[in-house]
Amino acid sequence: MPSREPEIANHIRRFRFEQGEMTQEYLAKQAGVTRHTIMALEAGKYFPSLLLAFRIARVFGAPVEQVFEYRGNERK
Amino acid sequence: MSDSEKWAWWTLGVVALTIAAYGALVAFLGHGPATSAVFALLALTAIPASSRRYFTGTKFDEREREIASKANRAGFGALWVAFVGLIMAIYFVKGWNATLTVPAWTLMETLWWATTLIFGVEAVATIVLYRGGPHA
Repeated sequence: MPSREPEIANHIRRFRFEQGEMTQEYLAKQAGVTRHTIMALEAGKYFPSLLLAFRIARVFGAPVEQVFEYRGNERK
Repeated sequence: MSDSEKWAWWTLGVVALTIAAYGALVAFLGHGPATSAVFALLALTAIPASSRRYFTGTKFDEREREIASKANRAGFGALWVAFVGLIMAIYFVKGWNATLTVPAWTLMETLWWATTLIFGVEAVATIVLYRGGPHA
């Protein structure tokens, strides 16, 4: 049975680690959100808007599709 | 814990305090126009930690706005359900052709209860949504 929930994974934690262990606080400030939202994103509890996704990707200097990954809404 | 969650817990406390104070006042003084005075306690919801954000100019981010919007809808949704339930209950208890005569202060008190309900549900919804899943 296919899942109806769209799944968007993200690699924010890995990118932070690769960028000299960037703090959540710093990323939040650069992206214009609160640290709690970054925490929720990393925990997969929140899917960002397109605008926020682009902002976060820009902070990392990476294309948005590398930071966020659409996994589809149908599982076989 | 985010400022919005702190607001929600604070508001929940204020709502509980208001209900307790209302119960105590009705028990000691009886039910009357004076009992509505306890709803002044709801003004305490205006001084949570989150108010600091407004003074410092910090704005809610998109997730907080989304949660606040959903919680607000839940509050007014609960009010609608309560309103429909109250009307239906009156019809079933008093009959379809009954005439109701109520003192004016009970109408004002109904408004205060509606406000209390909205605050309470909004606070609970905020807490639940902050701890919720991907669509919180």
